[in-house]
Amino acid sequence: MAQHGGPQQRIFSPLRTALHRFAFILLIVSAFGLMLLGKADTVLIERIRAASADLVSPIMNVVSRPAASINELTEQATNIFNLYEQNERLRRENRELLAWQQVARNLAHENARLRDLADYTSPPPLRLVTTRVIADMGGAYAHSLMVSAGSRDGVIKGQAVMSDEGLVGRVAEAGYQASRVLLITDINSRVPVIVENSRDRAFLSGDNTDRPLLTFLTADAAVAPGDRILTSGHGGAFPPGIPVGVVSSVSENAVRVAPLFRRHQLEYLRVADYGLQGILSDQVMRRDQQNDGVIPNGVGIVPNDGNDAAANMPTVGPAQPTDRLP
Amino acid sequence: MKPGVWHRLDVIARGLFPAFSVFILLLFNLLPISVPLLSTASPALPLMAVFYWSVNRPDLLTALTAFFLGLLQDLLTGLPLGVSSLVLLLVQTGSASQGRFFHNKPFSVMWWGFALVAIPALLVQWLLSSALIGAFLPIKSTLISYVLTAALFPLVAWVLARAQNTLLRHI
Repeated sequence: MAQHGGPQQRIFSPLRTALHRFAFILLIVSAFGLMLLGKADTVLIERIRAASADLVSPIMNVVSRPAASINELTEQATNIFNLYEQNERLRRENRELLAWQQVARNLAHENARLRDLADYTSPPPLRLVTTRVIADMGGAYAHSLMVSAGSRDGVIKGQAVMSDEGLVGRVAEAGYQASRVLLITDINSRVPVIVENSRDRAFLSGDNTDRPLLTFLTADAAVAPGDRILTSGHGGAFPPGIPVGVVSSVSENAVRVAPLFRRHQLEYLRVADYGLQGILSDQVMRRDQQNDGVIPNGVGIVPNDGNDAAANMPTVGPAQPTDRLP
Repeated sequence: MKPGVWHRLDVIARGLFPAFSVFILLLFNLLPISVPLLSTASPALPLMAVFYWSVNRPDLLTALTAFFLGLLQDLLTGLPLGVSSLVLLLVQTGSASQGRFFHNKPFSVMWWGFALVAIPALLVQWLLSSALIGAFLPIKSTLISYVLTAALFPLVAWVLARAQNTLLRHI
């Protein structure tokens, strides 16, 4: 290029540099514009995010399979090494579980009888969609996964996502064939929970570490390391009673919870459609209000705070009959 | 002699390779890999590729391309929009203007260069993400991410250099 040093070059070269500089500044401005837009218009951004997840999900669906089988191989190798130890542990666990099974059976019978006596309305049955993890947005800034189920499979924004062990997160955006799951460890995640034994209510707030915080605990709450944390079902976002984690440390200013899942081993997840739509867009809320009677009432599993729970749910009034439930 | 249609298509397809390689690395970053460390902090693979191409072939990976690749990264990873766009744009512009410095120098110079560029890049990303989310993100995972990024750069650069030699030698 340098050999064409004609008059054209002399005119256009500075022009081109100016144009480049202008384009650069324009791009910088649009980057900041995007940041503002991302803060302001969340609905539009959500749609675009869902669309981009749909765009790459066919590729990720294929590519994540070999990755998964490699993972399986390494897991098998480690399993062989720990065979003896694992066997011992499983035997011990099995003995304990058999005892628990007996207890559970007795309690289930007793519970059924008491429910009959008290005319108890059961919470709605869960509809579960099982799906595969196709991408892990691993990184320092965002804790989320992509799963291979979307609105096609009945997954919508806000539904709870569980692994075998317990709650993993919620659906942040649902595309047609893929969705993004916000993990409970993400800094944007807030889950209403209760402490299993003391029934103290709190929020589980992620902070992008692998030990989320228990916030909004009352001052007199009795929490000790080892306590199990369950979803409370308040706000109608999640089904109540899903195990979330175990309190790992209690200090003056922070109670931290160890989630039950191990992020790098998540492979298949279940998305629970509970029918209640708590943390949802206005659009869905409006649609719900139109067909009021169809909304199942989830109040009841959490003891001694039925009034509060009902007040939290905008569409469920106390006068509403729940007779359509099984 | 005028080049034929196929030849021109071929040149265009090869010219798109740098952007495509960044996209592939972006997807590679998303693979669910069962290594405990990688689920909390992952190497910034797209950043490496953007640096590599803007040093070696700034004509094939322009500022606009870097901007859109950053946007795609933000959309897919759930980061606040615009952050990666800005970071990749700055890295592209900065390294493209300094590209001549790295020519005919041993690879270790480029490695050092990248290790230097990655510090402000990841810091800006951390700061802006924290500001937009409204809380300080843990800096520890950013540090781990930086170490991984700097350490894995030769591997990625080697692959990209091989590809550059075979695909982009004549354009």
